[in-house]
Amino acid sequence: MKNILSNDYLTMLCRLAFGLIFIFAAIDKIAHPDQFARVVFNYHLVPGSLINLFALILPMSELIAGVCLITGVFYKGARNYLVFLMLIFIVAISVNIFRGINLECGCFSVSSKAKSHGLQLIYRDILMLLPGIVLLISQSRKWMLQKITG
Amino acid sequence: MKNWFIQLILILLLSTLAALAVNFGRDGGIALIGNWPSRTAAGEQAEIPPSAQEDDPHFITLDDAVAMYQLPSVIFIDARDPEDYAFGYIHRSINIPFDYLDESWEAIIEKLDKESEYVIYCSGTECESSLFLGRYLKELGFSHLYVFYGGWSEWQANNLPVTANEDLDGGEEL
Repeated sequence: MKNILSNDYLTMLCRLAFGLIFIFAAIDKIAHPDQFARVVFNYHLVPGSLINLFALILPMSELIAGVCLITGVFYKGARNYLVFLMLIFIVAISVNIFRGINLECGCFSVSSKAKSHGLQLIYRDILMLLPGIVLLISQSRKWMLQKITG
Repeated sequence: MKNWFIQLILILLLSTLAALAVNFGRDGGIALIGNWPSRTAAGEQAEIPPSAQEDDPHFITLDDAVAMYQLPSVIFIDARDPEDYAFGYIHRSINIPFDYLDESWEAIIEKLDKESEYVIYCSGTECESSLFLGRYLKELGFSHLYVFYGGWSEWQANNLPVTANEDLDGGEEL
């Protein structure tokens, strides 16, 4: 199993997919920090005084870690961070489903048009976590710039 | 310390610097410490009028209304009568009195952007004109409508920003 998942092409594909998911998700949030702050507020999980800082730094970290994952710079740090983030998103959405809050996901777009059903969001996030799991197992280190950064 | 953890710290440090630089460097950057309601333990459900139906616009709590108020792009609509509106209203809100809708008001509605977000309110839980106006606007194709059912009375009771005549306190700045 480990050998199959360590295939260079599969690993590169997963890096591209997982990295692009986060890069794509970050762009709209970086463009509209005020609206993303409201989405964060609606989750009711971050203290009020930290909401704006969180809304500024989280999307930027998604973008930078996504680029790192694809290029292979700081590869392990970026990979572990993005898998951790995806798990946190799944927990955050689950908590709000449990609380019965109808929320805007704010996952890819800060627009309230992007309202989705809670369970669908969880299924989607679990699906998107799969390439991350592959990367956790894979031993392939081909096509990476990590030799430069260690 | 593990190598990956140092990398992670560097990524977060770089992200923080980049985020702050981008925020300070552009028009419309946000305050680093926002003035959000401090309640984080949610669970408080918005009050819903007795005649509410499943496909009605979303009902929001006072906290949600305060949060939306802080976005300049969100437009507040006061659905009460013009006389009530003249006495005092949520700061920056516009008046579209549901009970007085005629061609002149409809001409104003036509000028509104259907893609913008609107928070509609009336006097408070004793009135439903905010809900009725919300339904009407929804029929016209407005897609981002929120009804703040607590309305003017709840907003004012919490000393939030209002535009008022001299007899009223102007509320605190947010």
